Amino acid sequence: MTETVQPELQHENPLMEGLKLRRAPDPCALVIFGASGDLTKRKLFPALYSLALRKLLPSRFGVVGAARTEETDDDFRERMKAGVQEFGRDPFNQETWDWLAERMRYVALDFADETGQLEIVKVLNELDDKQGTSGNRLYYLAVPPSAIATIVKEVGEHRSTDGWTRLIVEKPFGRDLESAKALNAELLENFNESEIFRIDHYLGKETVQNLLALRFANGIFEPIWNRQFVDHVQITVAESIGIEGRAAFYEQAGAIRDVFQNHMLQLVALTAMEPPIDFTADSVRNEKVKVLRAMHTPGPKHVVRGQYGRGYVEGEEVPAYREEPGVDPNSLTETYVSAKLYVDNWRWADTPFYVRAGKRLARRETTIAIEFKRAPHPPFEDVGEGDLQPNVLVCHIQPDEGVSLEFAAKVPGQGLTLRTVHMDFLYGGAFRTGIPEAYERLILDCLLGDATLFTRADEVEEQWSLVDTIVAFWKRDRPAFPNYEAGTWGPSGADDLMRRDGRAWRRH
Amino acid sequence: MAAALGSISEIEHELGAQRVDPETGQPIQRTSVMTHVAWVPEAWVEAAEDVLAGLAERHPSRTIVLFPEPKQDDSLIGNVEVDRYAAGEGRQICTETIRLRLRGNRVQAPASVIEPLLLPDLPVFLRWRGLPPFGEQPFEQMVRTVDRLIVDSTEWPGLPEPYEQLAEIFDRVVVSDIAWARTSRWRLQLASLWPGIAEVSRIKVTGTEAQANLLAGWLRSRLGSEIELEHEAADKLTGVEVDGEATAFPPGAAPDPADLLSDELERFTRDRIYEDAVKATRM
Ligand SMILES: NC(=O)c1ccc[n+]([C@@H]2O[C@H](COP(=O)([O-])OP(=O)(O)OC[C@H]3O[C@@H](n4cnc5c(N)ncnc54)[C@H](OP(=O)(O)O)[C@@H]3O)[C@@H](O)[C@H]2O)c1
Repeated sequence: MTETVQPELQHENPLMEGLKLRRAPDPCALVIFGASGDLTKRKLFPALYSLALRKLLPSRFGVVGAARTEETDDDFRERMKAGVQEFGRDPFNQETWDWLAERMRYVALDFADETGQLEIVKVLNELDDKQGTSGNRLYYLAVPPSAIATIVKEVGEHRSTDGWTRLIVEKPFGRDLESAKALNAELLENFNESEIFRIDHYLGKETVQNLLALRFANGIFEPIWNRQFVDHVQITVAESIGIEGRAAFYEQAGAIRDVFQNHMLQLVALTAMEPPIDFTADSVRNEKVKVLRAMHTPGPKHVVRGQYGRGYVEGEEVPAYREEPGVDPNSLTETYVSAKLYVDNWRWADTPFYVRAGKRLARRETTIAIEFKRAPHPPFEDVGEGDLQPNVLVCHIQPDEGVSLEFAAKVPGQGLTLRTVHMDFLYGGAFRTGIPEAYERLILDCLLGDATLFTRADEVEEQWSLVDTIVAFWKRDRPAFPNYEAGTWGPSGADDLMRRDGRAWRRH
Repeated sequence: MAAALGSISEIEHELGAQRVDPETGQPIQRTSVMTHVAWVPEAWVEAAEDVLAGLAERHPSRTIVLFPEPKQDDSLIGNVEVDRYAAGEGRQICTETIRLRLRGNRVQAPASVIEPLLLPDLPVFLRWRGLPPFGEQPFEQMVRTVDRLIVDSTEWPGLPEPYEQLAEIFDRVVVSDIAWARTSRWRLQLASLWPGIAEVSRIKVTGTEAQANLLAGWLRSRLGSEIELEHEAADKLTGVEVDGEATAFPPGAAPDPADLLSDELERFTRDRIYEDAVKATRM
């Protein structure tokens, strides 16, 4: 058996041979800008805690929270502990918390003021000494977009010369192509592309990754995953909630910037992309960018926007968008967008991708449905009108996670009556406690330096250039808003978009 | 009984949790063909539960039972059951039952409560117990959401008037009537009297009010003539006289309530014969 030992391993511990190595992140310090904010408390600390509980963080680790709000280290620890207890997915364990709390510091600073940065550098150096974080730095920018440039500049100018430096940038990444390019340029002034991690938390979701597994690890799907067998694709990112008090943000963003530019186009890219040669960050992202480049810009007729009026959700009457606190009573911001997109390449030419995203829709659901072409000539007599549906493969991302397949089957008994049967494998329930939150996966990947699930500069720019053209033709007319009732499936124009092609949105 | 759930997301979460085989810890694969929704006002609760129990095995599905309780304070109270039945060698069918109490104002918009819980892409059947409040918002909303409405007009007071309102919704939703299904053996029997029955002018039906009206309406609409109806009340359809002459009792046993509902759940298309019969219940 000795021949099989790889030469480079011969110098290493022979006992490790055959044992699975779990990649451990390097020692490092994490600096969170915006530590007094909502994201830090609701997502980042619960994620760090769950990583700590599973011993996935490096043993030599430190966290520095930074924001303008005055707070002591202990206040910060208490607030984050409450966040973990309220929003965490794991039961609270004091020992794990103590381990993390011991490594936490807080710095109150004005981002524009150099003394603040120097204070952070001082605390980081202390952590290097005390926790052995050895100069590696991960900066998390959990701040509003307006605050990013200043922080990036300050951090860049005071970056550690020992070890690596990485930067996580939250969405939204710009608000159009121009601002995204400007932001990329600012980042690239002090950092390399390989040091920049742009978050789209959808990519951190297990099921989104599972889509890649489904496609590329199962021989039966890939041969039919193309224009010859697929009639069309439908992607739905539906929320039943409204804007939840985030009027200031949403009025500026709308559905196209909040969801379409990032999550929606990511889902299209993952569905349509060619198999990458390997699963390294650049191979996967190269393929995704190719899809974005191959996408036609949809004409005005192929995009429908909407805004919700009053209606009912879960039996309760809810206000119209224009009645939400903080929203302009004449607002023209869209809360719904649907579009017919084409990926113009050999695999997908002439196969439409119908996508829709919106707030206050009938249910919360994120799904990718691949609708296959119908059987050419079903030789069954008793098939009632509209009984026989085409085969549909649905990848469920939210709220259930799993896959389902719709096919025709014979009803037991005499005759040959057919009926659509829906068979699903929703593993959400089984592995529920085991499914990591998107942020856990993303923070860990970043600690490991793996950028596969983060968005690259060129990818973001492709996304924005598509959005820009849509927004540009929207500017030319005034939509008659509101045009759909809260709690329904969106404006009638979206149904027409499908009906014109002799198709319909999937029901419910 | 499981803890009460106060929102759709809690219900979804609980369904996910229960969809796991407690022995193996593996998710249960689910096969479904439809969503069955039942609207059950208080007076019908017991009868409805009996029928549900007989239904599960034949229709691997999700059932949503709505209990309107308008006099209570506003709230939504749900609970969820995932039942598994052995279906032959090593095979199990899993059915999900979601029970929802719609209290206070939540009664007003039931469609928005069930919509998030419908199984994607599959037909939705609504069984409405008692007389539907035709024209009122909760009912109209539900009619817009579902594919097929199943009623049992035996449960309705004041027949035949309500048939008129029923006829008005035929173009909007496919309707099945269990009372109609219960007359099928007798219809076959009466059809066997052709051509002698062509000139009939009077029938006497011993059975429920609904059966009497529907049989009369059926004969009128099929034969295109005016036929007088005499009705003698009974729980079951036990006799039909044609121009004073008793018709022989049809062969076979009467189907049980779960079977009747079950048969209706297998139909998808409009039943024009029934619709015509309903329209002809009033001369
Ligand atoms: N919350 C989420 O679930 C979520 C989800 C996806 C993306 N994001 C993104 O994550 C970032 C942070 O979101 P968040 O929800 O945590 O926001 P937030 O609650 O408003 O917190 C913003 C943080 O940034 C600090 N800040 C720095 N400069 C600021 C300035 N000029 N104006 C206002 N605040 C400033 C604030 O602290 P001080 O005032 O103490 O300095 C605060 O800690 C945003 O880019 C957001 O789009 C958030």
